[in-house]
Amino acid sequence: MDVLNNLLTGFATALTLKNVYLAFIGCLWGTIVGVLPGIGPVAGITLLIPATFGLDATGAIIMLAGIYYGAMYGGSTTSILMNIPGESASVITCLDGYQMARKGRGGAALFIAAFGSWIGGTLSIIGLMLLAPILADFATKFGPPEMFAIFVIAFILLSSLGSNFFTTMPVVLLGLLLASVGMDPLTGVLRFTHGVKNLYDGIGFIAVAMGAFGMGEVLASTQESTEGRTVQKVRLRELLPTSKELRSSWGPIFRGSGIGFFVGILPGSAHIVSSFLSYLVEKRLAKRPEEFGTGRIEGVAGPETANNAASGGAMIPFLGLGIPTGPPAAVMMIALLIHGIRPGPLFISEQPLIFWGLIASMYIGNVILLILNLPMVSIFVNLLRVPFGILFPIILLICLIGTYTINLETFDLMVLLCAGGLGYLFRSWNIQIAPLVLAMILGPAAEVSFRQSLMRSGGSFSIFVDSPIALVLLIVSCLLLAWNIYRALKTPTL
Amino acid sequence: MTKTRAGSLVFLVAGFYGLILTLQLPMGKWNEPGAGAFPLIVSSLLCIFGIGMFIAGKGKVALDWRALIKEQWTPFQIIVLTGAFILAMERLGYLLSALLYIFALLFWVSRYRIWIALGLAVCIGIGSWYMFGKLFETPLPRGILPF
Repeated sequence: MDVLNNLLTGFATALTLKNVYLAFIGCLWGTIVGVLPGIGPVAGITLLIPATFGLDATGAIIMLAGIYYGAMYGGSTTSILMNIPGESASVITCLDGYQMARKGRGGAALFIAAFGSWIGGTLSIIGLMLLAPILADFATKFGPPEMFAIFVIAFILLSSLGSNFFTTMPVVLLGLLLASVGMDPLTGVLRFTHGVKNLYDGIGFIAVAMGAFGMGEVLASTQESTEGRTVQKVRLRELLPTSKELRSSWGPIFRGSGIGFFVGILPGSAHIVSSFLSYLVEKRLAKRPEEFGTGRIEGVAGPETANNAASGGAMIPFLGLGIPTGPPAAVMMIALLIHGIRPGPLFISEQPLIFWGLIASMYIGNVILLILNLPMVSIFVNLLRVPFGILFPIILLICLIGTYTINLETFDLMVLLCAGGLGYLFRSWNIQIAPLVLAMILGPAAEVSFRQSLMRSGGSFSIFVDSPIALVLLIVSCLLLAWNIYRALKTPTL
Repeated sequence: MTKTRAGSLVFLVAGFYGLILTLQLPMGKWNEPGAGAFPLIVSSLLCIFGIGMFIAGKGKVALDWRALIKEQWTPFQIIVLTGAFILAMERLGYLLSALLYIFALLFWVSRYRIWIALGLAVCIGIGSWYMFGKLFETPLPRGILPF
């Protein structure tokens, strides 16, 4: 009954005219971002952070979450109609989606992708609604040693975001080192500031995120070309699938929802992994697996549902523990931190309006997306006609103004430029930049919990194994570390 | 020099730089760790991983610096132009520097004809100034212009 009452309160918050409008803006921008190749959900969320400065925290998170799952919806459009994934989670949809479009069934593929995304999104919100409060309630028992053990797990998991542990772990460590720039939170000593006053409060997350994700993505996209691709046409009356197509889609949609939700909880590239996993499961279950890749509806329904369900799953560790499991959640965390709210074990009990308002807005957002994505698909496809040569200066300008707005300091723009250059450089070396930003966000809290634990124990490291919860968490992190090292040694891709 | 080794140099430089600076910070004792304790652990680990990555990067395909520079020319142009925009913004003001920045990007990087680049730069520059400066009331630098 508590859940139901809380959900009703959430709907009362989310259904205000302002919040419905913000959810709509977020979903619209997310769909645009998803459709346009070269701008992923992370860059999309980052670009709109400055627009949230004038909003309250509830409105801000509602809008940014809308971008997140909106991008998952939009990504399928270009995959199906152009054979170009709008974002990485839609890569697998190209295989059967584009073949369906070539056979004149593009409309049905788009419908199933949107419908499956809606079901997957809705089911994952139910999961989030039920699981996040339980996790958060359990986490209130955590003291500094347990929190430090959680951070250790998070850092080890972050190192699995990249293709190789030995190239990704240094990125995490670099992020932690950058996080220690500025005034020491416990003693007030200045660290690595070189007398630069702008560094006393540390290096700004927004400038780094805008640079690494926004500018870095633009710089990388200048190397890619989308010219010379043909767009498969789709008419409104072709949108409805046949009853056979609909029957074949139910199974993949429900299986995709489960796969997406549980993979989403795990840190890493959840959207990509879940869509690939769902595709493999459907292929394995199919009577004629050899037909996959030639335009099977199951190859669209499963992966598209899974990548949307993963968005809900990814919110659980983010909202329940304050640990973002991927770059989109990290950027949303930055937005909440700007509004003075830190997600974590106490978030749900201290900020019930924000949490339940967000949950309710996700239900509303999924309906908005269904309405947006089906009748307006041809409008979104037309966005692809805007040349990237015109688009990228606009994106860069938004990044620059957005970063400048935070402190009205050109110093932040220099940080953005450096982060953009570093982000691009890492991309071209096949090194992930996302762990750096995530480690920068988690670093200060990890350091404080580490030092507080030692102060509490009088300098004895046994405090980390005396607590059963911390001990279990550290054993898990040791196993994860061993697994990461084994995987990296077995398949060296340095 | 391989890609991996080039990447490892970033971590090595950051690690050793952090290590040197950390040693000047108060370390405290284990029962009361000082400001340098955590950065010391992190920068030491960074050095270890950097060295490991440098060693592991041996024997792979060497970087073709010429091809790399040619390949990176467009991003390099964008970075330089953005740097120039940042430096000019406080002096010239947002509107003027944005017009020049967008024009430069469209003309040199996107290779539009001069009149098209100019027209688009005026539209985007004034549009962004109006949207952020007037509608969103962001205090953008005025510079030499009165608005």
